[in-house]
Order: sequence, then structure tokens, then C-alpha cells
Amino acid sequence: MAQSADHLVDQIAQLNAARNLVLGDAAFYPQIVNGVLPIIGARARLELRRWGAEFLAETFASPALASAQKEQLAASVLQAQREVLELPEGDPLVLKHIVQSAASLYPLVFRHIINHPQDGAMWENMTAIKQAILRRWDSSPAQIKICCIKFVQRVVQVQTNGPIADPRRPDQNETSLAIVPRNHPVLSLPSLEAEASGLLDRLLSALQEESSDPLLVNATLNCLAVLVRSRQSIGNKIINAILNFFPARQVRPPITPAVRIGVKSMERTVRAVLDHIMKRNASHPLIRKMEQRRNARLDIVDEATRKRAPPAEPTDGLDKTKRTKLDAETPPLIKIPPLPPGPTSFAQLFTLTEDAGLSGFDVKQLPPDLLVNMVVPLLARVDQSALTQSIDAIRMRYETIQKRQAAQPPAAAAAADDDDDYEPEYQPMDVTEPTREQADAVATEVAEIQPDLVSLGPFVLPQPPPLSEDEAAEVGRSAVGRVFGMLASSAVASNPAKGKSQQQPGFARLAGSTFDRDAWVTLLTRLATRAPAGLETGTGKFGQDASSRGQATISNTIRETLYRYILEDFRGRVNVGIMWLNEEWYNDRIQMEFTASRRRPEDEEATVPLFYDHWVLRLLDGFLPYIDSRDTKIFIRFLSEIPEVTIPITQRVASLAKDPERVNLCVQSLLYLIMFRPPAREICLNALEHVYETYEESRPAAGKVLARWRPKEAQPQAEQQTTLATRGATTGNSAAPVA
Amino acid sequence: MLRATTLTGEPAAAAPTASTTTTTTTTTAANPPKPIPEEESYKLRFCTVCASNQNRSMEAHLRLSTATPSPFPVISFGTGSLVRLPGPSINQPNIYHFNSTSYAQMYEELQAKDERLYRYNGLLNMLDRNRNLKWGPERFQDWVPGLPRVDHVSKGDKGAHGTEGGVVDVIITCEERCWDAVVDDLMAKGAPLNRPVHVFNVDIKDNHEEALVGGKAILDLANRLNEAARQERRAAAAAAGTGTGTTTAEAADAEWENGTGDARRNFDERVPEILAAWQEKWPHLPALWTLAWL
Repeated sequence: MAQSADHLVDQIAQLNAARNLVLGDAAFYPQIVNGVLPIIGARARLELRRWGAEFLAETFASPALASAQKEQLAASVLQAQREVLELPEGDPLVLKHIVQSAASLYPLVFRHIINHPQDGAMWENMTAIKQAILRRWDSSPAQIKICCIKFVQRVVQVQTNGPIADPRRPDQNETSLAIVPRNHPVLSLPSLEAEASGLLDRLLSALQEESSDPLLVNATLNCLAVLVRSRQSIGNKIINAILNFFPARQVRPPITPAVRIGVKSMERTVRAVLDHIMKRNASHPLIRKMEQRRNARLDIVDEATRKRAPPAEPTDGLDKTKRTKLDAETPPLIKIPPLPPGPTSFAQLFTLTEDAGLSGFDVKQLPPDLLVNMVVPLLARVDQSALTQSIDAIRMRYETIQKRQAAQPPAAAAAADDDDDYEPEYQPMDVTEPTREQADAVATEVAEIQPDLVSLGPFVLPQPPPLSEDEAAEVGRSAVGRVFGMLASSAVASNPAKGKSQQQPGFARLAGSTFDRDAWVTLLTRLATRAPAGLETGTGKFGQDASSRGQATISNTIRETLYRYILEDFRGRVNVGIMWLNEEWYNDRIQMEFTASRRRPEDEEATVPLFYDHWVLRLLDGFLPYIDSRDTKIFIRFLSEIPEVTIPITQRVASLAKDPERVNLCVQSLLYLIMFRPPAREICLNALEHVYETYEESRPAAGKVLARWRPKEAQPQAEQQTTLATRGATTGNSAAPVA
Repeated sequence: MLRATTLTGEPAAAAPTASTTTTTTTTTAANPPKPIPEEESYKLRFCTVCASNQNRSMEAHLRLSTATPSPFPVISFGTGSLVRLPGPSINQPNIYHFNSTSYAQMYEELQAKDERLYRYNGLLNMLDRNRNLKWGPERFQDWVPGLPRVDHVSKGDKGAHGTEGGVVDVIITCEERCWDAVVDDLMAKGAPLNRPVHVFNVDIKDNHEEALVGGKAILDLANRLNEAARQERRAAAAAAGTGTGTTTAEAADAEWENGTGDARRNFDERVPEILAAWQEKWPHLPALWTLAWL
């Protein structure tokens, strides 16, 4: 016995010497391996079998030995190991090392068979070893089981499609299903793939079992990472299995310290694997889930550890751990500062902190992606009770403000009406426009809440879109309408002062400088007459062509509005009319002169739109029906102050005589013109003569005037005058217009 | 200085035995005349890891490689990008590259720079200890598991005997960050050896005092683990019968009948329990574990 023991020691020493030789120089491996194989065979002593198994595992794992040499050694070693396995080998250490060697050999043999399909025996041995290992997987003791897990992972890795780095150089590619030719005589792609799929399921089942052994789970987790990294087709399946694995949930009491360490180790290994995957593939579609899972707290373990920790101090009333525990039962109340008095801004409404620096901080300064990075983890760990309290506080504030506002609106509306400043009325709809552009979720709220809640910072109106012609006209009209509104509203106020103030200014006064009603009228009339001068030439005489086309120009709009404005109260506004018509007449002259000066001899006759004649008749026609005998003064004033009296005007005046009640008005007006407006004297006398001859009622009054201003002998002369006057467009007190 | 004397003393006693016996992996402390059964002399192979492979991992390296009655095979690494040692101020550290600067070089350089300062803050003592243990700091990420380390034996690195094959059974890190780096790096390496390795973390603060305590605790953990591994081998050997090796089927049955208690269960399975028991004794050094692949 002792002798054999000595012999054994010698043998082991020799073997160790041989091992040292190959560790020093890998070139000796083939020689040594072939030399020791008979010694460590299936029927050798346990010590030798152990040594042999370990040595072979080391040999085929060694980075010092080239794969080509390993491939050459594989055939004989496979045969020997198959024999060991088939002689039901009982020693777990031997088995463990055989499985380890098989894991290293499998990719080598697989690759060898791809290139050498004729080596059927080698593949048969490998397959037999694989089957033997898979058979023992479930029933083996743990130290063999973990090596089976590793072996299966290798099989899965080999028998799924891997990346093809360079199709032209197959020897550069990783060993995988992808480099097996479709028509390979030995390796059948579908069955290999199916086997790998089944084995992967079996591998992942370690993570899905009811009670998990930390040793097996950690062994599995630590070898999955390489599959995720190198085998895209099964990556998501593996990651999902890891994501759905929660070791802490499977813990059953009693929780011993060993159980706690096991759970913690599994949790930490899960985290390490996920970190490993995320670090190498930051754009993985499951990255968010992985981050969530990774950051999940080790609740049970942590709590258990905390409970287990022995009290460092005696647990009296002052003990800190005890106090924090009490705190945890009733969450601390958040201090809600009252809202400051006066109108509340959104910022104030949502501010719960009293820290001035914090509430003054503009979050917009931070880039959005940084904010997202901060907010998402923050939301994940926000204290539920604090959140609820804060939301309740804001809700209370909001409801209080709502109630206060519900009571206010009528007063606010009245105030808005009284407000007569030139500030355009504040309209909340204007505000929603820019906020919507920012895609701000608060935008809808802004529109709903009363405007005085909003405290706006410096607000710059966005550049308006360019107006179309129609829009411009529309805007112009509304502006004019607003100025007329001003006239109407300021009329009452300025009337009493008028009498006094009108006397003071002489010829030196500046039109429109007083900012009273007259100033506005001046502004309007000049707007109508002078502003568009030169812009609207060619629109035809009187601007009628333009209006008939439905494109009323801005000036004509003003004229129309002025016309109506005067007719509304012609007695009070006759001076407006006079001012306007004077401006029209003046403008007509200016335009004629301007056109004449620009006109060259070869040009056709230029036309200038003339507005005075048109509008004076229209205005006259407008108010003549309403004028009565009491309006003599106003009417005479009108006739005397308009810049030019024409035949059509005298005809209109003469027509007043149709009405017996207004005969005197007619005669007196004409008399006034005859007496004080010499240029119009002749046409007025003609008109009066016509009145005298036509209307019997006028004869007493008209007769006197005619007797004085046109004695009987002058009658034929007057007739001549009449024919002359009807031939020309106008005659009299000024230069003839350029027709 | 006290540490330095123990350093020069103990390894000097251990070295002759190692050099006289032919370099064997498993029978480092064996006496040739009376062979101790292989199971009794069995040693797990260890690897200690900290950030710079200077303080904590080297203290543990010292403890394991000078363990009584027989030293453990041990190698050590750092996971940082560079070796960082405290300098005259916090923003003037002394920085060296891994794998290319020896402890002796660092020792001489710092001694020349400011002997008083580096003696006072313990750096020279530490480097003196380290230069007697092995040549220089090694980076974990640059380690190729399975690559023979025969040259380290010939260089006289302490704990090198038994690690010629370039593999270890247990990795012990001294900081959670290092544990993460180690586990991540092992996954990145893709486990070419298909060999399981237990990766522990024992959280030790990075100062000389804590490193001393931590080194003791790591040695305790190593002894407990090694005892379990030895029991497993003994139980398996006893079950298989001595020397016949023919009736393996019966032996397998016998294993289950003869094994008792812990011995029946294998080493790997018992690791969580061992760690839990160890943690009870060292509650201030929070521990972590996983089973990874070399």
C-alpha cells in the first residue's frame, strides 16, 4: 500500500514536471498530451484521473496554445474523455474538468467539422460527450452543474448565427452557425439551430424558477453577457429574461444571513450584467427598461440588513434610529407658505419653496436633455406623501383664486370700458399664440385663466405676416373707423370750449396741433385728400371707377365716411364739411398743377381725378332735402365758405324754390352769393332769374333782387350768359380745370 | 518599520522549502520524506484586487502569501487606469504606469523626492513591503487568464507558487468599484477558459490601518474557503476508495452514504454560507460575491 502510494507520489511529481515544461514552452503540448493520455485513462487511479482531467482542461483553455494545435489534439482526447464519461465516472472533480474541457473543445471541433466533414468520428465523439453532459446536467452536484451551464452557453453561442466580419476570409470569423455551409453533409443547420434555441430556454429557466440557487443564477448571469454581446438574434430574449428576474421576490422565510447574501449577490450580478450591456450598447432599444431595472433598489436585502444591524447605542428615547423610524410612520408635513397679496402670477401659484434663490432660478437656462436626465430619476424617487401634499396645496390655492376671480369679472369689464387710453385692449387670445409655438403644455391653462393672473415679463409682439392688399385696406378702414369713433366721443367735450378757443388762433395757427376734435377732422380730411395723392392716379374721375370695381380705396372710404358723418348732423358739422371741401378743392388744384408740370408735349392729355365737384354736389344733395327755413344761416355759411360755386350748385340751390316754404331760403342764399361772392354773381343771377320765371311764389322776393342787380334792359345779356355757362363745365371765380 | 521586519523574516523561512522541492502546484509545503495526502495540502488559488495594487490588495497579498502553516498561491492586481500615490498635496499625486514601473523604482524615487514626507505618511513603508512581495503593480484589465506565469516564480514573487498556470479560484476585491470593474472585465474577456471563479468584495477603506484589518479578514475568509474546498476533495477521495479506482459506480453511491453534513455538500455550493458566517465575524467589512468565469 505504502509502495503504491509512493509510486503514485512519484507519478504525480513526474506529471507536474511535465506540466511545468509545457507551461514554460507551449510547443511541447502535443508531445506531452499524447504521452499522458494512456496514464490518465478511464481505468487509472483517481488521483491520476483528477490530474489528467484538470490538465486537459487547462490545455484546451490555454491562450498559449494555438487553436490549430488544439484541433489536432482534439481527436484523441475526445475519444479518451468519451470513454471516461461512458464508464460511469463518479468523481465530481474529474467530471467538472471534463465538462470544462468539453466547453473549450466544442467550438474547436465544430469549426474543424465545418472544414473537414469527412471526420465523422470526431463529431460523433463530440456529440456523444454533449449528450452525456446534457443528461447529467440536472442531476449533477452543483460544482458540475455550473460547468454544464457554461458548456451549454458555448453550445448556444456556436449554434446561433454570429457576425461575419469578412466573408472572403472565413478563418477570421468567429465560430458560429453563420459560417456553416447550407449543404454541409454532417451539420444540419435547422436541427442545430433548434437545439440551440431549446438549450437557451433551458439556460434561462434558471432565472425563472420558483426558488433560485444563487450559485447557479450567478453562473448563468455571468455567462449571458457574452451571448447578448455577440449574438444579436437572441439578445433581446436574454435581456427580457434578466429584466423579469427578481431574486428578492422569491425569498421565503426564514431569511438566514446566507439567504440574504445570496439575494444580494444575485441582485448585484444582475446590475453588473445590465451595466455591462448598457455600456457597450447605449442605443439598445431596451435601454430604458434596463436602466429602470438597474436602478431598482435592493429593498428586501437592504431592509433586512438594516433590521439586522445591531443597535450601536442603547435604544433610549434619544436614539436616532428610533426617531427616524417614527418619522417614517407619519411623513413630515411640508410647510406651505401663504400666497403674497395682490394679483397672483403662475410662478407664485406653483412656488412652494420660500428660498428666494430657488424660486428666482430660471430653469430655461439648462439644456433640455440635461433636465430630462435630472427629472426622470427625480420622479422615480419622489416621496409620495410629499407629492400628494404639494399637489393638494396648489389645488387649494388655485381654487381660492378661482373663487376670487368669479366674484370680480363685472367690475373688471367695466374698468376695461372706461379705459380710453390708446393701449389696444388686452386680449388673451393674443397670448396663446406664442405659447403654443413653444409647445408648452401650460398653454391651454393660460387661455382658461383670467388675464390678470398672468404677470407678463417684457413681451415682444412677433413680426406680423405681410398684409395682402385687401387686408391692408381692411385695416385702414378700421383705423379710420376708430378715428371717427374718437371724433364722436370727443365732440361733446370739446364743444363748450370751442367758442372761446376759436377766436384766439389767427392765420398763424397750425392745423391739427391742438389734439381736439378739429385736429382730428383736419387729420382725417387730409388723410382722405392728400395722403394717397399720386398713388391712385388712373382710378378715374371722382374715384368712381375704383369703387365700382369693388375696390374702394382708402381715401374714398374716408370720404364716404366723412360724408355720412356730416350728414348725421349736418347743422353741427357743417364746418367739417366746409373744411373737407376746401381740402378737396385745394388738392384738386395741386394735382392739376403737378400733372401739368410733369406733362410733356408728346403725351396724350393727362387726366387728374377731381373730387371736389363730385363731393360738393353729393353733400348738397345729401342735406338739401332736410334743410328748412330756419337753417338759412347755416346754409348761407356753407355756400359762402365752400371754395367754388358752380352752375350745378346754383341749380341745386334754385331747386329749393320748388318748396314754397323754402323759397325765401333759396332767394336769400342766392342774394348773399350775388352780393358777397362776385365771381359767382352772374351764375347766381341766372339761377335766380330761372327761379323767378319758374316759381310764382318766388317772384316777390326774387323780383326785388333782380330789379336791383339785373335791371330789365339787361335781360338779353343775361340769356347770353346762361348759354355760355352751360357750354363750359364751370365758369366763374377760378381758373378753368384741365379737363 | 515593524512590518518591514516581519516581511524580511517570514518569506526568508518559506522560500527555501519552495525552491528545494521541484515546483509543484499542489504540494508547496509538503515534506518529501513523509508525503501528506494531496487533499490535506490542497490550496485554493487567490487573486487580490484594489485600485492601485499598492495598499489593500498588497496587504492581503502579504497575508495570504505568508499564511501559516502553508502559504496560499496568490497574485494581485489593480483596476485603476494608473497607479496613484499621495503626493505633497491632494492635487499633486505621484502617478505611475501599471506593469512598467517596479515598486523598487517608486521607492527610490519617492525617497529621493522627500524622504521625510513619504516616511511620515507611510508610503515608503508600504513600498518597501511591496517590493519584497513582487516586482511591480499589475493591472487587472491587462491580465490574460490562463497565460502561464512561470516567470513570476523564477522572479521570486511571493505567492507565485501554484499560480504558474495563470488561473485562480477566488478573486477578492477591496472596494465595490473594483468588484464592478472585475466582474465587467471578466464578462468582456468572454470567459475563454470556461473556468468558474468566485469573485468577492470586502469593502476596506484605503488607509494603512484599515488595510491591516482588511488583510486579516481576507486571510480569515481564505482559510474558511480553503477548508471547505479541502473537505470536498477529502470527501470525494474517501468516497472513491483509496487507490482502486475500478468500482466507480459503487464509489459514487458510497460518496453519498459516507459524506456527512457539510462534507456532503460541495465547496461552490457552500460559498454563500461561508461568506455569511465570515460576515458575522467581520460586520464592518461589507461583503459581496458572485460566481463569474475566467
